[in-house]
Amino acid sequence: MLLFYYLSFGQNNHKLQGYIVDENNEALAGAIITLSPSLKSGITNSSGYYSIPSLQKGEYIVKVSFIGFDPIIDTINIISNTSYNAQLKVKTHSINEIVVTDNYAQERKKSEALNMEVVDASYLKQHLGGSLMNSLEKLAGVTTIAIGSGDSKPVIRGLGFNRVVVVENHLKHDAQQWGADHGLEIDQYAIDHIEVIKGPASLQYGSDAIGGVIDMGNKQLPLPKTFGGTIDLSGKTNNNLLANSINVFARGKVLYADVRGTYIDFADYKVPASHIDIYSYKATLHNNQMRNTAGYEKNLKATLGFVKDQFHSKLFISSVRSKKGFFANAHGLEPKNVDTQLHDKSNRDISYPYQSVSHVKVNSHNQFTWVNTKLEFDLGFQRNFRQEWSKYTSHGYMPPVAPAELDFDPNLERQFEKYVYAANVKLSHNINDKLNIKLGTNNQFQDNRIDGRGFIIPAYKQYQLGGFIIGKYQLDNTRQLLAGFRFDNGHIKSDAYYDWFSSPVNGPDGISQQYLQRAGELDRNFSNISWSVGYVHSTEKLTMKANIGKSFRIPIAKELAAHGVNYHRFSYEIGKSTLSPEISYQLDLGIAYQNHKLSIEVTPFVNYFSNYIYLNPTSEFDRLYGNGNQIFTYTESEVFRFGAELNASYQLSPNIDLGVIGEYVYSEQLTGTKKGFTLPFSPPASAIIQLKYHKDKIGSVLKPYASVESKLTAAQNRVVPPEEPTKASQVINMTFGGEFKLKQQSINLAFQVTNLFNTKYFNHTSFYRLINVPEPGRNFILHVTIPFTGRLN
Amino acid sequence: MISKMKPEMVKYIIVLAVSLFVFSACSSDDSVDDIKPTIDINFEEAFPKNCATIYFGESFDLKMLFSDNVELGSFSIDIHNNFDHHSHSTEIDECNLGVVKTPVNPFVFINDYAIPQGSKSYETNLSIMIPATDGNDSYDEGDYHFYIRLTDKEGWSTQKGLSIKMKRR
Repeated sequence: MLLFYYLSFGQNNHKLQGYIVDENNEALAGAIITLSPSLKSGITNSSGYYSIPSLQKGEYIVKVSFIGFDPIIDTINIISNTSYNAQLKVKTHSINEIVVTDNYAQERKKSEALNMEVVDASYLKQHLGGSLMNSLEKLAGVTTIAIGSGDSKPVIRGLGFNRVVVVENHLKHDAQQWGADHGLEIDQYAIDHIEVIKGPASLQYGSDAIGGVIDMGNKQLPLPKTFGGTIDLSGKTNNNLLANSINVFARGKVLYADVRGTYIDFADYKVPASHIDIYSYKATLHNNQMRNTAGYEKNLKATLGFVKDQFHSKLFISSVRSKKGFFANAHGLEPKNVDTQLHDKSNRDISYPYQSVSHVKVNSHNQFTWVNTKLEFDLGFQRNFRQEWSKYTSHGYMPPVAPAELDFDPNLERQFEKYVYAANVKLSHNINDKLNIKLGTNNQFQDNRIDGRGFIIPAYKQYQLGGFIIGKYQLDNTRQLLAGFRFDNGHIKSDAYYDWFSSPVNGPDGISQQYLQRAGELDRNFSNISWSVGYVHSTEKLTMKANIGKSFRIPIAKELAAHGVNYHRFSYEIGKSTLSPEISYQLDLGIAYQNHKLSIEVTPFVNYFSNYIYLNPTSEFDRLYGNGNQIFTYTESEVFRFGAELNASYQLSPNIDLGVIGEYVYSEQLTGTKKGFTLPFSPPASAIIQLKYHKDKIGSVLKPYASVESKLTAAQNRVVPPEEPTKASQVINMTFGGEFKLKQQSINLAFQVTNLFNTKYFNHTSFYRLINVPEPGRNFILHVTIPFTGRLN
Repeated sequence: MISKMKPEMVKYIIVLAVSLFVFSACSSDDSVDDIKPTIDINFEEAFPKNCATIYFGESFDLKMLFSDNVELGSFSIDIHNNFDHHSHSTEIDECNLGVVKTPVNPFVFINDYAIPQGSKSYETNLSIMIPATDGNDSYDEGDYHFYIRLTDKEGWSTQKGLSIKMKRR
């Protein structure tokens, strides 16, 4: 990195200028230079030159950034006209970063009033979990609702499902978020950058972001006239998982392409138990294997890019396909005996019941960057196609044997098909060197279709439109004020649904056979105004934040119109068509202190929902449609929540760090039939204590590291029916790895042992907790990354 | 200064972590009902018990004892065929199941019943008539599964699954 600046004589009205180049000293066009505390910024032209005029004397923090490169953050003193040149290094292979939060992450955190976590590719590779969300579980305030070994949904401070927005490459990921039985349809190998916003972020992200946002994507942009790629290989012993992901990219001058293919195959996962007690029914396990939980995933992704001067356009095309088995003893209407000969023959085959998912996504992200203005627009399309298959089982008054002439396969339990069309525009403009304004709109149309023998939600169409304005005002060198306002309108129209079989109904003329209606036609319109005001005070060592805001969420089709059996927990779920949009008010605080040895961050929050929508167990049973299952109805109640996260690390010696991450959430329902109770799936308090050794080099190994951590989870005794209290647990995990050189080729190894002592413990927020399935046993995980690059002529 | 702070800082971190724990571990709430209702069939006159036989064209008396710490909700009964041996009993004794067969006209019974409001304990006094035919054809004899679900007012539930034989006399 070459950094130098020289002085020349001038007035009080000074200019900062210079050149930005890459590692080969070639000019970088479109690199952005920002100065704080002012909001002034510059952008390089095609020869890499920039200039920022009219600057006052003083000390500034300068940040040079360009997509795909590691940003440079530096301090400069402007007394007169000043030159500042910088050389940026490409980000592609910086896979071995030990620290999770680099300068970029620190800067990013200081620029938002809500609390957030920033994660890069190296963190993901070192903490590779069963799914993308598993890999994030260690972050303070992030938990997951998991089912099986490879599927989980994000939960931020106890809120999950449709209360967390997941964004992949600028497009909101839309699938069947309401279901706990499947994961995110995102290739975890294709993600190199993740930001987690902890707290209500409806303002920028719309309706569902009431609990938080997980914004992820690919930041990497190859250098002009280069090609390269990576080969990723992973293996896990617990479920005999083998995964490989191959990425190849190339860039001419203005055009580039990046292609990735991933294949993952895994067997039944193992738990440290010989049998599972499913509601007093004992299911014996063969070789500790969770019967029929094997699966595979096949992903393809291509990015085509165009970058010239101020314009950058990317087209993302991806397909994620998977087939995964459900635990065979606990799917359907009741705990079940299964044909153990068939199921235990092989731990890699997938028999009934299973699900298959296909998610196709196409989106175009376009960005114009001028000195004080940035314009972005996105067009996106998604199709999610999900099927649940199980052997035909009659329930209610379904015929005992499937009739021959059905217009669906009798073994198709349920099918959901979703088409999503989205268009977003965002404009960011610096009005002067103190005030920045961001304006944007989000539009989305959804068409949802259903099929199969079972019913849970009707087919529906949904339209959502939102517009927002956010202002950021720099009060002085250290203080920033943020405020925003948003208007949303949502329209949902669902179809009526009638059973395909008849049921006997008692009427005035005796018993008659009728095709029962389970869902009536529904047409609802929702509008809402949300707002947020925040304040950030940050000095070099201390950052303090406060934010207060109102967020909202439009009820989803399941909450409004569900009427069917939940085959995963033997319940009958009924929606309520009159639900109003969920409203939440939240106060967030954050305090972070950092010196060269210690960093500590505490982020408390207080939250009030005027109407939290949740599935409430009743004392009633369903007779006609299901199988005499207990009825759960969607209900609204006032909810009060508070909690905090703690994230601290202390340098015991230059090579040894001690880290502590803790989180706690308290929830209480203030009204309704469950007054005094908590919310479903409330995460218990937990803490991770980690000791990490790292060095720049040992022998020929670059950036070697080794860590041991203890994850402590408190008991969860505050539960809602049908949950059971969960005991406290302690699990030990280990990691080590580094970058090895084989002649010129570097090879990155990341090795993990999770649940070192094969401890039998339960995770309160696992969906399988309801049927007493313990967490996976000991697992050795090896991840190998082999990068390669070259120059094109 | 940093080196002087070192032990205090470590202590501070540990104290914070520990207090976080103690706080949450102690905060179990006593004001809500968190106890499930119970189904008792361990008395002489209880019916049906595991492996019992119920006859088509006759009625039988359901005799079970339900109890809850606060207030009982309701209960449901579901009888369905177990010709494919998909079901099991939640009782320890296993019954001898007949051969696996395809249902022709299997008997299905699904019903739910109220429990008088305010009951903490309730002994069922219910006579259930099992028809011999669906009006035309007679029902299949064989292995059936008798499933009882009981709730309390808060929505806590308990299930009991029994293996029974259904026969014609």
